[in-house]
Amino acid sequence: MKAFVVAVICAVALGIAASYVLATSQRFAWQAFSTTSTRVSQPGTNLVGPRWTGDVKGPHDEVAGDPQSGKRS
Amino acid sequence: MARMKFLCDADRCIECNACVTACKNEHEVPWGINRRRVVTLNDGKPGERSVSMACMHCTDAPCASVCPVNCFYTTADAVVLHSKDLCIGCGYCFYACPFGAPQYPRVGNFGSRGKMDKCTYCTGGPEPDLSTIEYEKYGSNRLAEGKLPLCAEMCSTKALLAGDGEMIAQIYRERVIKRGYGSGAWGWKTAYRETVAI
Amino acid sequence: MRLGTTISRTFVAMMALVAVAAIDAPARAQAPTTAPNPTADSVNEDLLFKQDPKIHGRISIPDQKAANLIQPQGREWRLFHEGWMPWIGAAAILGMIAALALFFFTRGRIKLEHSEESGRKILRFNGFERFTHWMTASCFVILALSGLNYIFGKRLLMPIIGPEAFATLAQWAKYSHVYLAWPFMLGIVFMFAVWLRDNIPNRIDWQWIKAGGGFIGKAHPHAERFNAGQKVVFWMVTGFGTAMGITGLMMLFPFYATDINGMQVMQGIHSLIGVVFIAAILAHIYIGSLGMEGAYDAMGSGKVDLAWARSHHDLWVEKEQAKTASGPQLRPHQAPAE
Repeated sequence: MKAFVVAVICAVALGIAASYVLATSQRFAWQAFSTTSTRVSQPGTNLVGPRWTGDVKGPHDEVAGDPQSGKRS
Repeated sequence: MARMKFLCDADRCIECNACVTACKNEHEVPWGINRRRVVTLNDGKPGERSVSMACMHCTDAPCASVCPVNCFYTTADAVVLHSKDLCIGCGYCFYACPFGAPQYPRVGNFGSRGKMDKCTYCTGGPEPDLSTIEYEKYGSNRLAEGKLPLCAEMCSTKALLAGDGEMIAQIYRERVIKRGYGSGAWGWKTAYRETVAI
Repeated sequence: MRLGTTISRTFVAMMALVAVAAIDAPARAQAPTTAPNPTADSVNEDLLFKQDPKIHGRISIPDQKAANLIQPQGREWRLFHEGWMPWIGAAAILGMIAALALFFFTRGRIKLEHSEESGRKILRFNGFERFTHWMTASCFVILALSGLNYIFGKRLLMPIIGPEAFATLAQWAKYSHVYLAWPFMLGIVFMFAVWLRDNIPNRIDWQWIKAGGGFIGKAHPHAERFNAGQKVVFWMVTGFGTAMGITGLMMLFPFYATDINGMQVMQGIHSLIGVVFIAAILAHIYIGSLGMEGAYDAMGSGKVDLAWARSHHDLWVEKEQAKTASGPQLRPHQAPAE
């Protein structure tokens, strides 16, 4: 029984550890496909349109789902 | 009811990328996501042709079929759209798509590749038509305003045609007859299981 | 020069110029009889498909995947994934469940045979072996369920819980699948390391197979630490586990090593081996729990009944007892420590 419990805890811990390690090698499309001639920084969420409310989120503001420590060119 | 299609006349396409620029600008598509692109075949050799390619909005769309969460739907105009709320970013639609239309915000498939993005035929998405949330997620909805996709509108040589399948096939047919040549409706056999008979 | 000569020379020069200019007049006067045909040299779809299964060209953007203009194999992969895989998966898994049920209701549970050695215990698997087995096994269960969700989830589960709830569940299934794959792969490596030595096939295994392993009839063929059936499970688990790991890694890092057709093949292999793997493990779970009395203890506590061990792994018991000259490690009536 003990072996089973330890095993499950280790599996979950390794899974969580894997998620952190892998997140460091994750790249966004705008990072991966930048070249020496086309360097872009975080595009942000500044989508606008004809009915834009004026609510501004700049390129360096926190956005859900984007890593805070992600690579920025 | 119209059955919307794209037809790129490769004999007129001059690879100016106006279609790409128009799409990028209209929908604020971030760098790295290529909803529309121009592919040049036999570059530099005689018989070089360029084709503007995005989602073809296939009949019996393979992307819709393989999606594990069934996030795709087809509108009454036969435009193939999807819901970014349901999408889990697994990447299957890209394997199934013959035209490489699906684009993902992230490169690695750990967790998720992010919400898939693709050409919407300027039709937006499942959110209410012409709302801000629809614009932020899917880009502008020109079809709801009675307009055709901007890529075809901006094409400098009218190589890229968008509209009802019968109409644009007819336009292409007339062109081929008038000028005496045409390299065919690229992608139509794979997407719509038909060719434009001249 | 005299004016007349100049004028006549000028006139002759003018006539010459006009004559030169008039040489192609006949051509210009008529319209060209053949229209220009640029398409004579051009490529078209059918021609390109004859040369290559995919049509690809040059692009001006960094993402090289976009250079593929048309890859019709996408539709073929869709046919495999949506047309064949659900049936193959259902047949494999439901078929195995049916076979196990049939076996259970005919042969029944393989019972412990009592002898004078009943009640005494012998250590079969140590702590590390049990830990490795349970880490791999528990990951496998979650991986199997989340993996099957890709094929059957939208068919079986979504109609019950609705698209939004299902999408959330599928998202978490995806996270658990890609992250628990890592402890699973580690467990496979550990298993291979600790059990390779005892799983090399030999002549005794052939005798065991010929005797039906004791499943058919009531024979008790000789067996070492692992009998032939268990060796099959070992090689299947490590073999399939490695294959799943490699194909899975290819899909975790899309397009790092393969192009679009390669990715389709990777996914096809992953799903095909996956369902066969699941069906085989169902049989393993059956025999280790319901199918044979006394078998579960091996992985549960690590200590098995000596009579059970003697009847199913006699050669192993002899070897173990030769090691500890005083016989089995635990005396009867001594409760095994948990």
